[in-house]
Formats: sequence, C-alpha cells, structure tokens
Amino acid sequence: MGTFLQVILRSLETGSLYALGALGIIIIFRTSNVTNFSHGVVAMFNTFVVTYFFMNWGLPLGVAILLGIISAIIVGILIDLVVIRHTKKVSEMGKQIVTLGLIMVVLGITPVLFGVDPLRLPKLIEQGNLSILGADISYNGLFNIVFGILIMVGLFYVLQKTKIGLAIRATASNEHTAKLMGVPTETVTLGAWAVAGALGVISGVMAAPMTSVTLNLMDEIQVNALVAVVLGGFQTFYGPVIGAYIIGVGRNLLLYYVSSVWGGQILYILILVFLVFRPYGLVGKKIVKKV
Amino acid sequence: MKTKLYKNPYLQFVLLGILLALIPILANAGLIKVSHITTLGGTFIFAIAALGLNLLLGYSGLISLGTAGFMGLAAYFSAYFTVDLGLPFELALILSVVIPTLLGILVGLVSLKIEGIYLAIATLAVAEVMKKTFEEFDFFTNGFSGKTADYPTLLGFFTLDRTTMYYFIVAVMIVIMILTYNLVNGRLGRALNAMRGSEAASQAMGVNLLKHKLVAFALATAYASVAGVLYVHFIRYSYPTVWNMGLSLNFLAMIVIGGLRSIYGTLLGTFIVFAVPDLFLKQLPYFDQLSYVLNGVLIILVIIFYPNGLIFAGRDIKKLFTKKKEVK
Repeated sequence: MGTFLQVILRSLETGSLYALGALGIIIIFRTSNVTNFSHGVVAMFNTFVVTYFFMNWGLPLGVAILLGIISAIIVGILIDLVVIRHTKKVSEMGKQIVTLGLIMVVLGITPVLFGVDPLRLPKLIEQGNLSILGADISYNGLFNIVFGILIMVGLFYVLQKTKIGLAIRATASNEHTAKLMGVPTETVTLGAWAVAGALGVISGVMAAPMTSVTLNLMDEIQVNALVAVVLGGFQTFYGPVIGAYIIGVGRNLLLYYVSSVWGGQILYILILVFLVFRPYGLVGKKIVKKV
Repeated sequence: MKTKLYKNPYLQFVLLGILLALIPILANAGLIKVSHITTLGGTFIFAIAALGLNLLLGYSGLISLGTAGFMGLAAYFSAYFTVDLGLPFELALILSVVIPTLLGILVGLVSLKIEGIYLAIATLAVAEVMKKTFEEFDFFTNGFSGKTADYPTLLGFFTLDRTTMYYFIVAVMIVIMILTYNLVNGRLGRALNAMRGSEAASQAMGVNLLKHKLVAFALATAYASVAGVLYVHFIRYSYPTVWNMGLSLNFLAMIVIGGLRSIYGTLLGTFIVFAVPDLFLKQLPYFDQLSYVLNGVLIILVIIFYPNGLIFAGRDIKKLFTKKKEVK
C-alpha cells in the first residue's frame, strides 16, 4: 500500500509538470491555431536564464525565478510579434514547421549564450519529507503538486469567470467573429504566448532539480505534453490537463510494476491504440469540416 | 512536335549522375580534399531520405518527425543482418527496407485514420520509442557504444571501398529520383495533388484519402530506410545519438528550404543544410550551433516569405529581369 501510494504521489508530481506543459500548448493552439512544438525548448531556454541569474549573479532562487518568468514573458511576446503574427496566411502545416524552425534557433542559441556544460538548479524547498500512510514525499514534491494545481485552478477561474477569459474563449472559438465583436484578438494571442511562456519556465524550474539543466531538459516533458494534448483532445482547455495526469500516473505505474526500462514506451503504444478507438481524445468531439 | 533532347527529364537525371560521379576524379587529381567525398556521399544519402519526406510533406501535407528514427532502424537492421547474421548485402538491404516500412504503415494506419495533424505527434512518440530501443536493446544495437558495419559486397564477390561506394550511392540516388519523378507525374501524384487542393473535392472524385496518405507515408519510410542502409555501410557505424530529433528537424529544413514538391530542390536543400556547413563553415567557433540557428531562421523565412523554396529563386530572378525589359 505504501509503495503504491508513493508511486501515485510521484506520478502526481510529474503529472503536474506535464499538465503545465500541456496547458501552455493548448492555450497557444486555441488562440493562434499553432501546434507549438517549440514550447519545451523555449521553457528550457528560460530555465537556463533562471540558472544563470542564480549561479552567476548569486541572486536568491525566488528572485531568479521571477526574472526567469519575466524573460519567458518577453520571449513569448517576441515570438508572437516577430514570427507568429506574420504567419496568418500560412497553412496549418506551415505554422507547425515554423515552430519546428524555432526549436532549431533556440537549440542553437542556448549553448552560445550559456555554454555547453550541464548546470545544476537546487530545489525550491531544500529539505524535509512528509510521510503519509507509509509513503514518503519531499516538501518540494508536495509543493510542486499543490502549486501546479493552484496555477491551473487560477487559470481556469480566469478563463471561465472573468472578462479576459471570455475574450480568450471567444478568440479560441472563432477568431474572426471575436474580432467583429470588438475583442482585441491580437492582444489576446499575445497574452496567450506570454502566459504559455510563464507556464513553461515554471515547469522547467520544477523539472530541473530532478536532472540537470541541459539542452534536453524539457524533451520528455514536451513529448508527454503533446501526447497529453492528443489524448485529452484539442477542443477543450481541461482535456489536455486530464490527459497529462493520466500519462503521469500511467507512466509511473507501468515503470514500477511492469518494466523499469520500457514502461514509458508501452504507454505511448497504449495511447496510440486508444486513439484508434477514440480518435478525438477523451473529451474531444469530431470537428466537422465545411467545404 | 519536337522536344529538345536536353529537356528530357530522364536524360537530365542521368547527366546529373554522371556529373556527380566525376567528383572522385577531381579528388584524385588533388583539386578537392578526399574527405569531401565522405561529406558529399553523406549529403546524397540524406537527400534520398529527404526526397521521401518531400513526397509526404509536399504532396500530402503531412509532417513526419520520425524520419531519423526509421532511418536509424534500417541502419541497425542492415548492420545486424550483414555483420551478426552474415547475410548477403542484397538480402539485408531488402529486409532492412521492408521491415521498417511495414512498421511505418502500422504507425500510419493508426495516426492517419484520425487526423493529419496527429501524424507529427504520433511519429514524435514513435521516434522516442525507437530512440529508447536503440539505447537499450543491447544485443541488437550494441547500446551506446554503437554498431559497426562494413562496406558492402555486391553479388557476393564485388567488395566496395569508399570511392566505389560513393558511385553506388550516386547511382541509387539517381534511380530514386527517376522513380520519384515517375510517381509524382503518374496516377499517385495526380491523386495527391488533388488531395492537396481540396480533400473533400478529391474524395468526391473517387480518391481514397486514407489509402493515398498511407502510400505517401509508406514511401517516405521506405526512402528513409534505403538511406539508413546506405548510411551504415558508408559511414560504417551507427550510434543512438545520430538518430535524434535534431536530424528529423534537419530533414524538414532540407525540403522546406530547398523547395517543396521539387526533386532538385530537395537536393539543393540537402546541400545547403548538410554540406555547406561541413565544407565551408567548419572553421568558425560554435559552427554546429550557428549552422543550426541558420537553418532554423531559413525555415521560418522561407515559409513566411518564399513558400516555394530556394530552387525557384533563379527562375524568379530571371522573370524579374525579363519583365523589366518588357516594360522598357
């Protein structure tokens, strides 16, 4: 029982990482209709920024993270202003390729700015363990779980209950009509990129202490977040989040109880098979295309 | 109606082949470095895989991020068949192309049934599975220490060396170019073109969408597999780190920069992405990273401002001049 609970708690921690990633991807997809493959590497870049301020300037971790979030917002806005805004007439496939091009740019620039050595970023809460029913979880892990959920609850509150959220949802459902109704869709999209960037760097800072800060820091999270979006469906904001937690839990259960090497791969194959039977994801509906 | 002989596309391909085959002679004469033959051979191998991806992306608008994964799979298979099992090269070639292609069809069947946009993500997941396989499946891939292979022996007695292997690669590439030319100008190409124009309209005309998308994806996988086999027998080793996401992205860069739906464009793109940094920019510091940034920027610029690709640059410039003359 103890180990099972332990596995579940760990899964919730990784699940919230994936969920933050998936949320960032779906926010951008819904507002600017771009499947953002570069979400992970941009988050990786900003995590490097945090690490840089923390290690080279000796700033407290909290301040460094704040600066990282600011940098993430700036980078997100820049990407939208400089690149994405000019792709209005480009096909959906072209937009995907543009984000793939962004990956190459970021992957190339990062080592030039920050060097090629892997860096370390400590946990936000260094010490302390909590025991629940024989399962151990560090305060930091608990913090990640709770903080992730809090961010998501906050975002969903904004989306569903505020005027800004209404503008975002209007843009997401039909950009053209929203524009006619007086929604500043360009500003909404800009904001979406900024928010997604911030979500990215937060998940990056959470993930960094588990390994080290390298170019591949966010690869796994990026792949899992994308798969989570597919699993949850592209039509809602909450579907990908559910998908992300399912992947987090499923992955760790398979890793622990089935195979410590192949668990993750088995999960991908299971999800692909699942999609054959429910092609539009857990909560998705078929998109009817009009000719 | 008389068509000029030099405008015959098949003749052009053959001429290109002969031209490329002259390069080792230049190297023998000391005009270029011998190591450049390896670079150019590698370029042509990558061009083969890029041609397959161009069929898929250019004609059916589907993105695959698994090119490097399938190429690597074929490379490992071929090394395993020839070195560990001692099979003749020809048989190994056929098996190492057929097995990944069947796997590709299976992946395509799952993801194409759903929605085109899913193929990119599904192939991304498959690429992750394969990367893990290359790293962990020791007895087959030799793990992180990498797998080695030899120059192939054709027909049981004709053992190739670097230069003859280069000729072999050029020959295979030209054959595949001609094959691609025939495919895209035949029934398949017409169906794919109709699909690109309007899926609904082409469906109404009796084009089976799933079947044709699947054929395009299978061809892309088969081309990548051929490239993988050639790679492992030309470079003669295969590490898990070679077949990473970055290589798949580079393939995408090659065809987008060079020109979608263009055979020569693919070759040009491969040359820009793969050979130019290796031949000319190697002296610069951080040249790996910088060439990567350059490719990324080029992709974005080409997609936004010049969606046909750089192969049409010459023609467009020419048009610009002739137009000016007419105005005068």
